[in-house]
Amino acid sequence: MAALTEMVVHDSARHPPGKASAGRSAMARQESLAAYLFLSPALLFFGVFLVLPFLFALVLAVSDWSGFDLGTIRWAGLDNFADVLKPDGAFVKPILVNTLLFAFGSVALATAGSLLVASCIDRLRFQGFWRVLYFLPVVATVVAIGNIWKMMYQPAGLINGLLNKLGVNSVGFLSDPHLALPAVTVVHAWASIGGAVLILIAGLKAIDGTYYEAAEVDGANSWQMFWQITLPLLRPSLLFVLITQFIGGLQSFALIIVMTTDGGPVNATNVAAFEMYQQAFKFGAWGTASAMAMVLFVVIFLITLLQLWIARRKGEETS
Amino acid sequence: MRLTIRATLSIAVGVLALTLPACSSGDSRAGSAGGPVQLTLLSHYGSEPAKGGLDKMISQWNKENPDIQVKSEVVKFDDLLTTLMVRQTGGRGADIVSAYGLWGGQLEKANVLAKVPDDVQKSIKASYSEAAQGAVTTGDTLLGFPTELNTYVLFYNKTILKAAGITNPPATWDELKTDAQKVAKRDANGNVLVEGISLIQDGDNKSVHPFLSLLDSAGGQFLGPDGTAAFDDAKGKAALRLEADLAKAKSTDTSISPTKQFRSGRVAMAIQAGWWVGSLKTQMGGKYSDVGVAPVPGPAAGSKGSLAYGFFMGVNQRSKHQEQAWKFLTWLNEHKTDKGVTGMGQYMADMGLIPPRTADVESLKKSLSDPNLIPIYDAAKYAMPEPNLVGAYEAKTALHKAIMTVLVNEQSPDNALAEAVKGVKPQ
Repeated sequence: MAALTEMVVHDSARHPPGKASAGRSAMARQESLAAYLFLSPALLFFGVFLVLPFLFALVLAVSDWSGFDLGTIRWAGLDNFADVLKPDGAFVKPILVNTLLFAFGSVALATAGSLLVASCIDRLRFQGFWRVLYFLPVVATVVAIGNIWKMMYQPAGLINGLLNKLGVNSVGFLSDPHLALPAVTVVHAWASIGGAVLILIAGLKAIDGTYYEAAEVDGANSWQMFWQITLPLLRPSLLFVLITQFIGGLQSFALIIVMTTDGGPVNATNVAAFEMYQQAFKFGAWGTASAMAMVLFVVIFLITLLQLWIARRKGEETS
Repeated sequence: MRLTIRATLSIAVGVLALTLPACSSGDSRAGSAGGPVQLTLLSHYGSEPAKGGLDKMISQWNKENPDIQVKSEVVKFDDLLTTLMVRQTGGRGADIVSAYGLWGGQLEKANVLAKVPDDVQKSIKASYSEAAQGAVTTGDTLLGFPTELNTYVLFYNKTILKAAGITNPPATWDELKTDAQKVAKRDANGNVLVEGISLIQDGDNKSVHPFLSLLDSAGGQFLGPDGTAAFDDAKGKAALRLEADLAKAKSTDTSISPTKQFRSGRVAMAIQAGWWVGSLKTQMGGKYSDVGVAPVPGPAAGSKGSLAYGFFMGVNQRSKHQEQAWKFLTWLNEHKTDKGVTGMGQYMADMGLIPPRTADVESLKKSLSDPNLIPIYDAAKYAMPEPNLVGAYEAKTALHKAIMTVLVNEQSPDNALAEAVKGVKPQ
């Protein structure tokens, strides 16, 4: 203790308290500056490609602009929102309804499918091979996937050929307004299973095997183990999959363009992102397109909050 | 630590030095003092034979005019409007733009195009067909030199019609209904073996142009001069009822793509644009002799209709070399070839398109080797020019959706047209 006191006194004699504090403060400032400078490329990237476009879209949402010349932007107040949200307009129904059905449908199918596939792969040999196999659609381009499925859905395509063999008349999967959206939703779900499978397999691997051993000793069957152990412990991974897939589903439109060209038949597959694209780049109605983008942003934000709230009530968070 | 900060600062300055120039919108095309003026021409003529033909004319100009050099820039048609918009907004628009007439109102509203000089306007008004001028005029404003002109006609497969005992293509709506029903065939599973008549085409708003051709044959109009809907009158309802009858009789099916299936004998008749002749010749080879072309029939004997849509070449309002750009465009559209027609006229004819100049049409018609081109050329005289006011594109999309509800959902034509009117926003 005496030695320690001597050291402190000796150190204080060499470095007066005021000077030491100022030195530490200067060093902290320099470190902060260095940290910001290291962060600057990333901040610049986010600023240019995320914050600025968002602010620009916000400005356009309350403006009238037909593109081409930034000098022709005119204040329009909330007119664009009134136009987009009017009850007899097409944006709320069918477009926003289609968007939600497309997103909910593809998330439900993709999550159930990926859960099933991940559970199966987890019990198989050569797991790497199966993971790669199911991940292939994620790597393939949307254009290739969309065109292959489009051919399969044709009246003379593979699926109708099989139906005809079974004595069922051909079905206009992409030409019947009642079937077109489910048909495209199935393809979107199929194409998204691969990514979800990887995440869920990682989640399954993280579950401690002793839980299953204990359940087996207690006489639980496979179904009970799945419901009582696998599913609750997989909830963080499932939540991540649900949120990312849902956001992706709400923003997606490339597949719809490839498979239906114009969001048809009769607006049956028209979704918010596609309508925005049409309004902006085809009709030059940038104000309307930006107002639609803001509405979609709010919808995505609210649904994501709802998902997080439900998950937190159950005591789970995404990792 | 000081060394670290210095290094960090150097990195940051380096990053900024690399990124900021990329974000700037400098334009290096402007003619430098003393050097030749450099003009850029943005078009969708990127595939053969369109590309080669345009490049040849530009090379000739560049050789004869060392002080004004022109560079061709091409994108796919699907990307043309987006490219125009993005480049113009970023201050990098081309000096000369080739654009679809339907976009004219949008381009004019956004001040993209320079006013056509009076002498050029006078020359165009005196020498170009009414359909060609109408397709590139918004209100009273001529947008530029009319270039590409297409008209709609009825294509038919002679062999299929003959096998059904039909010797001549339909000349009235009633004949069209009867003939289409007679030739349409399906298998036991409901698969279409032969579609009687196709009322759609590939691409944007695919049902509108065939409908507007039928509407024109009944004497109807798409939009009024002020951009309000005119298609919901008795003539429009009659034309859409005809389409509804054809759909109800299963003579037409929107799941069949005529551009893919006409060539294989799965479509008996189709209302399509004249450019299709060139594609069919290439795709069908020796079987092209099966193809016949006739005017789109009207409700009564002797009536016929068509739609004309066009492209134009205009000068960018922001170009620093507008005078030189008009000089080049005037030469491009007026210089004569050895055959006595203009270079542009010959260029269009070589692609199977209608030359927009009346004199070129008359001259080239005398030497047409393909009789199928005659009804296509003739249609330029009576075709309804596609309106291109601001909001016309949106109106066209609303009409397309309405037509599809009739063809696919079997909705009442009158209700469908009333619904489409709501999507028309005159501006």
